[in-house]
Amino acid sequence: MRAVAVALDLLREARSRKWTLALLGGATLVLLLVAFGLELEVVDGALAASRFFGGGGVHEIRPVEVALRPLFEGVASFVFGAGLVFGVLACADFAPALLAPGRIEHLLSLPLRRWELLAGTYLGVLALVLGGALYGGVGLSLVILTKTGLFGWAPAAAALLSAVAFSAVYAVMVLAAVVVRSAAFSGAAGGASLVLFLVAGYRAELAPAFAPGLGRSLFLLFTAPLPRLAGLARHAFGLAQGRGVEVPLLLAQLGGTLLFGAAVLAVAIALFERKDF
Amino acid sequence: MRRRRLWLPAAALLLLLSAGLLSLVETPAEPPRKVVRFPSHMRDTEWKRQEARQSLPPLAAPATAPTTPRPGGDPPPRRDPFLVALPVKPGEPVVVFEANALRHSRLGELFIACTMVDDPRAIATFQEETGVDPLKDIDRIGVAGGSVVVSGFFDRARWDRLVAQGKLGVTPYGEGGRIYADGPGRAMAVWRDQLVVLAPDEAAARLSLDQLEGRAPVPEAAIPEDLAYGEVYGVIPGAAVQRLFSPADRALGAKLAAAASRVELHVDAMEDVAAVVRVEGEDRAALGDLARTLGGALAAGRLQAKAGSDQPLVELLDAARVVDEGGRLSLELALPAATLERWFEGCAGRQAPASPAP
Repeated sequence: MRAVAVALDLLREARSRKWTLALLGGATLVLLLVAFGLELEVVDGALAASRFFGGGGVHEIRPVEVALRPLFEGVASFVFGAGLVFGVLACADFAPALLAPGRIEHLLSLPLRRWELLAGTYLGVLALVLGGALYGGVGLSLVILTKTGLFGWAPAAAALLSAVAFSAVYAVMVLAAVVVRSAAFSGAAGGASLVLFLVAGYRAELAPAFAPGLGRSLFLLFTAPLPRLAGLARHAFGLAQGRGVEVPLLLAQLGGTLLFGAAVLAVAIALFERKDF
Repeated sequence: MRRRRLWLPAAALLLLLSAGLLSLVETPAEPPRKVVRFPSHMRDTEWKRQEARQSLPPLAAPATAPTTPRPGGDPPPRRDPFLVALPVKPGEPVVVFEANALRHSRLGELFIACTMVDDPRAIATFQEETGVDPLKDIDRIGVAGGSVVVSGFFDRARWDRLVAQGKLGVTPYGEGGRIYADGPGRAMAVWRDQLVVLAPDEAAARLSLDQLEGRAPVPEAAIPEDLAYGEVYGVIPGAAVQRLFSPADRALGAKLAAAASRVELHVDAMEDVAAVVRVEGEDRAALGDLARTLGGALAAGRLQAKAGSDQPLVELLDAARVVDEGGRLSLELALPAATLERWFEGCAGRQAPASPAP
């Protein structure tokens, strides 16, 4: 419960940060640009033609959700990728700031356990990123709704998947901050973990590039617990394409990602518990 | 304090759970590739095959020639008439196909089945017209420059029909040969109903028979008997490598010919198709560069094929490699039998529907 209080405290702090506000402003600007600039004449034309000709002169009438799939695909991909990058950029400073001299001593003097402090920070950042991603994703869905009369869940789903993927990335960033108290290092660790998680999604295809034996075994062993970022992105894209979701696969990938995040956070807590301030 | 120590084991457990959960639903990595054996030397069965084919007595040494005793005092070995008959000229490629073995190989069976789908009577028609069953009577086919030598059983061949129709004239030649020709153009030599030589002119046909019966020396450029292994084998001189390239790529061909003075080819095809192209040359540095170039091209091709989802090419290049053996390089290419079967699957689809029962 005290971890939740730390998380809420972090959200209050984020609200007052110029950097977070600037990123939120950027997201809003993108939404406004899309809202005012999105040209959907082709779709409007097709819909009007089907109304006007009643099917007689139109060889192929497609449901509007099918016609708009490319748009949702693009939006879902953007939301998924941008959510992750937004998270790394916006949140690189939170954990190092928590550990800053002066502040950490103050926090440790409060009736809080160390793990609660770190877990609260982690949860607060995840809530921030989830909020930001949903803001972007649902916002884009609403913009498309106002333009076409069709509401698609794909951008919101992509935002949720992106937030889950970010939970693993941010765990690595917290660990990096515990090891070296630097926002730059934490951000770099986040970027590197994004790349590694992408690689892990293609481990079966990449394994033959390593000579059979120790090298290949080490590669497979190292990448086995890493989240499959590409797999989650494929789910986001697949939802936008109107394809069904392979539920067991999705659950396993989500579960694996959350477990990996929890594991790395546990390592960070173990190190944090041993640190002298 | 005890709780502090629990975090790391908990992290390890969570990592294991994560790996386990993700591996449960992961597309399995490529199954371990079946090891393909590449033809690298004469094997026991090939030695036995070669010994069985050595039916031609050794050449009698000329009376004037100095008699050099063979090591161990062994008599000179008998020879394989097919290899002796190959009218190889210096600088010309020579390639031999073990037609009968290929016909019984996995590739051969698939190929014939595919041919029969297109024209079920093709082989029967050929046999009716020539008296030769191409699936049983032909043993080997050798291509040497412009000549083709075929070994097998031609006692039922209808040569007389060709003569009776006036298409060819026949002339006995030497102890066991006949020359069929229709003038100055292409000619055919038949030797003891075992060998047929299709030559660009009568002189080349006669040369083959002369080599067989000892009236002409066997050319040094022919295939040594210890290189007659695999279902396809041959030797391509560097100069001939250059001719394989189109005029536009002549410069590339010249560079290759400069690096490769001799190219040797061996293909096993009984189950998997495994080919070895062995390149020899004087310039070790150039050969090393060629090996690295080929290796790089294979790797790039493999990646490109994967990116383009060209599965047949991916499977071919997956089993391809270049071995730099210092002074010579070997390019190894393989097609597993399973891949071959997939390639020929289309034939089954084209199979004509069975005629309805009366």
